[in-house]
Amino acid sequence: MAAAKSFADKLSFEQIKIELLNTAYGNDRTLIAKLDPRTLFLWYAFFGIAPWFIHSRFILAGMLLFVIGTTIMTKVSRLIIFILILGLLGESGYLLIASLFFGGNLGIIIPLLVLTMKLSVISLASITAFCSMSPERLGEGLLRIGVPGQVSFSISYGYRMLPTLFEEYNHIFMSYRLRGKSPEKHGLFYFRTVIYFIKLAVKSFYPLLLSMAKRARTTVEALETKGGQYAFRNPAVKKLKLANLRIGKTDYFFLLISVLYLISIFISSHYVSF
Amino acid sequence: MTQIKERYTLTQSQKMMVFILSMSLYGLSNMITELVPEVNVGPVNFSIEYFAFIPLTLCILFHPFYAAIGASFGEIIFGEIMLGQFSGFGEMEKLVIFTLAMYVAGIIVNNPKNRVQVGIAAVTGVVIHQFLNMVSDIAKVWIGVEDFEAVSGLPQSVVAIEGFSFLNDVLFSGILFALLPTLYLVPRLYGKIEPLLGMKPCDNKTKYPISGILKPRFILVGVLLSAAAMGFEFLSEAGIDIFEWEADFGSTAIWISLAVAAVVALITIIVLVTGKNKAKRGMANE
Amino acid sequence: MNELIHVENVTFQYPGAEHPVLNKMNLSVKKGEFLAVIGSNGSGKSTLCKLFNGLIPHFYTGDFEGSVTVSGLNIVENSVADLSCHVGYVFQDFENQLVQARVLEDVSFAPLNFGMEDYLQRGRRALELVGLAHLADEFVWQLSGGQKHLLALAGGLAMNPDIIVIDEPTAQLDPYHAKEIYEVLKKLNEQYGKTIISIEHHTEFIAEYCRTVLLLNKGSVLWKRSTREALSEVELLTELAIYPPQAAQAASRLGADNVPITLNEAIAFFKEKVPCGMPSVPRQKPDRSQEETVIRFDQVGFSYKSMNKKRAQVLKNINLSLNKGEQVAIVGNNGAGKSTLLRLITGVKKPESGSITVRSQSVASCAPEKMADHVAYIYQNPEQMFIDDSVKKDVAFFPRARKIKGYEAKIDEILKQFDLVDLQDKDSRLMSGGQQRRASLAIGAAMNPSVILLDEPTASLDMATRKHLTQFILKLKEQIDLVMIATHDMQLVSEWATRVIVLHHGQIIFDGNKEELFSNPALMDKAGLVPPQIVTLSLALNVEPIDYSVDSFINRFKEARGEWPLQKASQIN
Repeated sequence: MAAAKSFADKLSFEQIKIELLNTAYGNDRTLIAKLDPRTLFLWYAFFGIAPWFIHSRFILAGMLLFVIGTTIMTKVSRLIIFILILGLLGESGYLLIASLFFGGNLGIIIPLLVLTMKLSVISLASITAFCSMSPERLGEGLLRIGVPGQVSFSISYGYRMLPTLFEEYNHIFMSYRLRGKSPEKHGLFYFRTVIYFIKLAVKSFYPLLLSMAKRARTTVEALETKGGQYAFRNPAVKKLKLANLRIGKTDYFFLLISVLYLISIFISSHYVSF
Repeated sequence: MTQIKERYTLTQSQKMMVFILSMSLYGLSNMITELVPEVNVGPVNFSIEYFAFIPLTLCILFHPFYAAIGASFGEIIFGEIMLGQFSGFGEMEKLVIFTLAMYVAGIIVNNPKNRVQVGIAAVTGVVIHQFLNMVSDIAKVWIGVEDFEAVSGLPQSVVAIEGFSFLNDVLFSGILFALLPTLYLVPRLYGKIEPLLGMKPCDNKTKYPISGILKPRFILVGVLLSAAAMGFEFLSEAGIDIFEWEADFGSTAIWISLAVAAVVALITIIVLVTGKNKAKRGMANE
Repeated sequence: MNELIHVENVTFQYPGAEHPVLNKMNLSVKKGEFLAVIGSNGSGKSTLCKLFNGLIPHFYTGDFEGSVTVSGLNIVENSVADLSCHVGYVFQDFENQLVQARVLEDVSFAPLNFGMEDYLQRGRRALELVGLAHLADEFVWQLSGGQKHLLALAGGLAMNPDIIVIDEPTAQLDPYHAKEIYEVLKKLNEQYGKTIISIEHHTEFIAEYCRTVLLLNKGSVLWKRSTREALSEVELLTELAIYPPQAAQAASRLGADNVPITLNEAIAFFKEKVPCGMPSVPRQKPDRSQEETVIRFDQVGFSYKSMNKKRAQVLKNINLSLNKGEQVAIVGNNGAGKSTLLRLITGVKKPESGSITVRSQSVASCAPEKMADHVAYIYQNPEQMFIDDSVKKDVAFFPRARKIKGYEAKIDEILKQFDLVDLQDKDSRLMSGGQQRRASLAIGAAMNPSVILLDEPTASLDMATRKHLTQFILKLKEQIDLVMIATHDMQLVSEWATRVIVLHHGQIIFDGNKEELFSNPALMDKAGLVPPQIVTLSLALNVEPIDYSVDSFINRFKEARGEWPLQKASQIN
């Protein structure tokens, strides 16, 4: 509960900045980070969907191995992968216990493991595809596949405004603390203190709603003067923006390897009973 | 959709303002809730899952569609993409479900000064959202496990676990982070925040009496149609291109089942709520 | 044709407003002008400028009559986007006009949207013009306030417009950065032939940079004149709450008819007439040992984690003891650590090393809620202090939370004292800047603290409001043991402070009285401080003691009236 007490201290402006920069400049030197977003979308479209419809344990296992490999290639911390799979197993564990309670038997373990495998493939595929893609590239990619321009604008705008908004939120939160009164007693399990902080966290949005409304107005005025509103619908702008998106040799190579691997496990699955 | 268009028309810039407002604030709140630790007491989870009151308030005060879609994008952009946690199709699912839920909450209210309406809307929004989440989670196990029904004990346990977390979230998040804050914020902001965006406060007293004159069957058909239209609208707003693109892989099955579930849930709720409102209005007229 | 902007008989009324904000306005601006637009609050300055890029009448749909042409385009027939190719606009709240993540991305946003293939080159060129080229790949939020303002200007320049409109640059920036932006504007005007229109209330900047002045009053043009003629109208301007340069005020009040408007002119003007043989007043050094210490800093340091995992040192080795009855000004550059110093006293931030005590209470072991019983902190941006939905509720927030008996009567008294009775039921956020400041001071006073900390209390206020506010700051000391102000406003320092602390890169480089500070130009320069004009003038004239206000300056001359040859004044220029 001490964590809740230092709620405000942890949410510092500098901390947020660091988080954001880590994502923005993250690990973009890996092979996968160099791929065109479209390649990764296509790749993910298969690995993110197909597992739902595949029931062969052999193929699923093969796919899982493959995505574990690609995930390692992205140099995402191994801890993340470990925690993720642990979490998925835990969920299946819950289901197992509940099923036993409802009169099932241990025969349920196998289908649950298959389910866990499917979910793992999907999650790792998304980590591979998106964790090494910087938000800016993701925005470009989305724009390329036909998502409206407002979305990639919003990603950029988010980067622009979030630290400012966060700082303002912090200031308002502190305003409440600098004039308010915290509970005299912490209560059972710090209950009162926690409620006090939650109340402040919620109430702080009232002033923020109003000041953000003012900001939104100037922003849209500025968008108007910068021709933003028309640009969302102008194909020429889209072309200019995406001029440096190119599918190159690496992309074809990556897709080719993936396809070959998949074909080989699909074929071998006919000969292996597992 | 026709109902909404009549409500009040917005210029392109005003739509953008509502979108930006909703996106930034809900996005910010998402980042905050992501960073706050959660507490588990056994299977009961006390976490600040989301500050649903922000999109609820904005959907009630402004055009619900732009506020709702803005909030959904806010969550994805600030809460996921910017923290490096974007997860592809999972986000699409969130987008559709959350927008739908907030949107419905927004159209329920035709008088932001009416606390009962606002309260009902806030709770309904959370219930729809959590209900659809539950349906989608159950559907995932159902699709993911071969011969789902044949595995003894599994269907019951899935329903039990998901149902429990549904109740947990509705009771905890629904009251603390939707109902109470929305009741606090809406009356304070009504009439104050709209002029800052250069808009008139939505005053539906003048525009809604049509529904009082219409016969019940008329309303039902209208509701059915608008619900269907909304379902399609979401499909298109969520990026129709992606759907075409992935259609080859047969993913449409999930989306269709989701959409059907959504529409069914929506109709049930709208019928219930309009029924209530109508009864009230009827009493007032007499 | 030389005329760039032609405004004819324009009347405009915002929707829902009772009176038109522009009333039969007529105006003509020629190519290459450097025009200052002045006028009191509500005279229609911003509204007029929003005509030029068509935000009025396209974005703000009110009742519009008359005709406006800009670069040959009629604003009604052309869209905001098209007009913006000819008019670059820097908003007063420029922070919100920067809408993209990175610097280069933001500056080339407009050319990109117009589908120009060379949008990146255009962006780079604009960055070079304002001197931000080295920051092209940074995130916008990593920039300082001054740099953001330059970026907003660059964003306008990227389209290579003929006209640049800039709304109150000096209100948002400290004097050092304001000067920087005016130097850029001067270059754009002189070397690149851009027409500059600046809404400005700071007449010292007008005197130095602008060539023509447009005076508005109640939505109409009073006159448009050359800067010299315009600023010589000391009486008229003062009446409209626009304060001419201090030197001009002094000369005018001494009865001169051809007044100096810049510092150099003033030095030449007054040099001959300085009365000699004035008795120098002995400086009294306050004896601090006798006094009661209210706040003590002991070896305080503060830093935060920065990007590259190093720690950025904000404050180091701060040792201070501040006594009852002092009026302390903390001055220094942006980023020198002024705000951090104040916030450490409130308990919102904890010092990394060392200790701070307020009335022998250690701050480190206290929650901000506890410290609030002793210390009130007034934010730089008053809006961030408004947490309730009316002025009265905001002022009463502190005593209400503490259930102090009979607080209502006290609140009414404070509202009266800060001239807020008529505003008490309004939402604080919807008031004007000056009213907001007053409300924030009232909030502080209602906390009944022994220490009050003011962060930049006069920032982003126009001169008239600034003067008005200073009176309220003076009132504070009657009830409060210690008042501390972090500020850039040297006029406030010179008129108010009894002790000045100069921070530079997180360290105290000066602690003493203002006389010593102002007579040390090297120190002032190092800390980026610009003294008020009248102080610089006194220094240049070698008068003893230095004059801190126009009043004391002219008294010096009035006493020596006999030597004052009035008729000579006109021969100087």
